[in-house]
Amino acid sequence: MSHLDIELQQLKAETLKMWALVNLQLRKGKDSLVNLDKDLAREVILSERRVNAYELKLDRDCENIFALFNPVAVDLRCVLAVLKINNNLERTGDIVEGIAKFVTNVDNTFDKQILQVTRAVEMYEAAIDMMDEVMDAFDKENTSIARRVFQKDELLDDINLKANAAIAEYIRSNPDKIESALYLLSIIRKLERVGDQAKNMAEEIIFYIEAKVLKHRSKVEKQNNN
Amino acid sequence: MNKLEAKNVNVFYGAIKPNTVTAFIGPSGCGKSTFLRLFNRMNDYIDVFRMNGIISIDGKDIYDKNIRVEELRKQIGMVFQKPNPFPKSIYENVVYGLRIQGIKDKKILDETVETALQQAALWEEVKDKLKDSALALSGGQQQRLCIARTLAVQPTVILMDEPASALDPISTAKIEDLIYKLKSKYTIVIVTHNMQQAGRISDKTAFFYMGEMVEFDDTKIIFTNPKQERTLNYVTGRFG
Repeated sequence: MSHLDIELQQLKAETLKMWALVNLQLRKGKDSLVNLDKDLAREVILSERRVNAYELKLDRDCENIFALFNPVAVDLRCVLAVLKINNNLERTGDIVEGIAKFVTNVDNTFDKQILQVTRAVEMYEAAIDMMDEVMDAFDKENTSIARRVFQKDELLDDINLKANAAIAEYIRSNPDKIESALYLLSIIRKLERVGDQAKNMAEEIIFYIEAKVLKHRSKVEKQNNN
Repeated sequence: MNKLEAKNVNVFYGAIKPNTVTAFIGPSGCGKSTFLRLFNRMNDYIDVFRMNGIISIDGKDIYDKNIRVEELRKQIGMVFQKPNPFPKSIYENVVYGLRIQGIKDKKILDETVETALQQAALWEEVKDKLKDSALALSGGQQQRLCIARTLAVQPTVILMDEPASALDPISTAKIEDLIYKLKSKYTIVIVTHNMQQAGRISDKTAFFYMGEMVEFDDTKIIFTNPKQERTLNYVTGRFG
C-alpha cells in the first residue's frame, strides 16, 4: 500500500468518525424533541463543538493531501468528495444544534400532539435513515446504496409540502398554540435540509467512485444513471 | 536526544529527530548535496574543504579528531543518485561491508543478505538468483540493491542523494514506498530535486538557496504555508 493510500484511508476513517458523531447528534436531537428532554438537548448543543473540531481537522487533512501528494483521478475525486462531505456534515451538525436549541427554549405549554399531526417524527426518522444509508455507502464505497437515498428524499419532500396545510389546520383548531406550531414548522424545514445534505453527500460519493456529476439533475435521472 | 544536530554550520541551527525523513530541496548548486555530505564527512576529500561549527550524531561531534571516519560511515550510510552496484554478484554486493569488517561466518552473511534484501523490498525478485551479476538488474532494482548494501552494515542514519532521479516512475514509487517503510527503523535524510517527492515522503523539509538554508520546518508547513517568501516562490514554481 502506498503512502498516499494510507493517507486516504486515514482521511476516510476520520470522515466516518465525524459522520458517526453527526448521526448520533441527529438521534439525540430526535429523542430530545420527542421527549422534550432539555438535558439531552443541552448535551447535543455542547457536542456540536466536537463536530466543528472535526470539520477543521478534515479541512486541514485535505489541504495537506493536496499540497503534499498532488492526487489525481480517483484519488483526487476522493479528497474533493471528502472536502464537500465535510462541509455537508458540519451543516447537518448546525441544523441539529438548531433543533436542540428549540427544545431548550420550548415551554411547558408545547403540545406534543402537533408532532403527530405534522408527521414530524416520521420525517425525522426518515432523515436519520438517509444519513445512515449514505454513511454506509461511503464506508462500503457502494454507489447503489448511495442511489437509494434519492428516492427516500421524496418522503421528506412530501411531508414538508403537506406541513403548511397541517400546521394551518392545527392553528385554526388550537389558536392558543400558534407559537408551538410555528416553531415546529421551522423544525420541519430544517429536517428537509438534512435530507438535502444527505442527497448532496450521495452525489459526492457517486462522483468519487464513478466520476459522474449528478448535480442539478432530476431525481429520476439520478436514480437511473448507472 | 536528537539523532543528528548541526550547530553554527552556515546559518542552519536545527536538529533532525530519530525515525523521521528529512528532505533537502532547492535549485541546482544551492548547497543541499554539499550539506548532506557533511553528515558522513564525504566533503573531507575536497582539498579546500573547511568547516566551522558542529555536526553531531547522538550528541557526539563527528568532526572530532578522535572519530574514525570508517566507523562513522558504518553508522551513517549513504545512497547516491546513480545506482552504483559493484561488478559482483547480488549476494557479494550486499555482504561487501561485512566482508570488509572481517565477518566470514556464512550463517551471518546469509541472514544479513536475506534481511537486508527484504528490508529493501528486493528479496522476492532476486532470491533465486543471488549469484547472478548485480549489473544484470534493472536500474530500480540496482538502486534497491544499493539500499540493501547500505542496510547490511546496520546503520542508524541513511543519507540519500537524489536516490530516484535516475529511475522511471514505477521504480521511483517503489523507492518512495521503501523510504516510507524504512523510517520506522532509520533516520533518513534525502536530497531531492523533485519537490513533489519531498512532499510525499518527508516529515521535515529544508529549503536551500545560494548556499544558505532559507527555511526548515514541517513538510506540511513548507508546502502549505511557508514563512519565507523565497520558499513560497520556490515551492509554487514562481522562482527567479
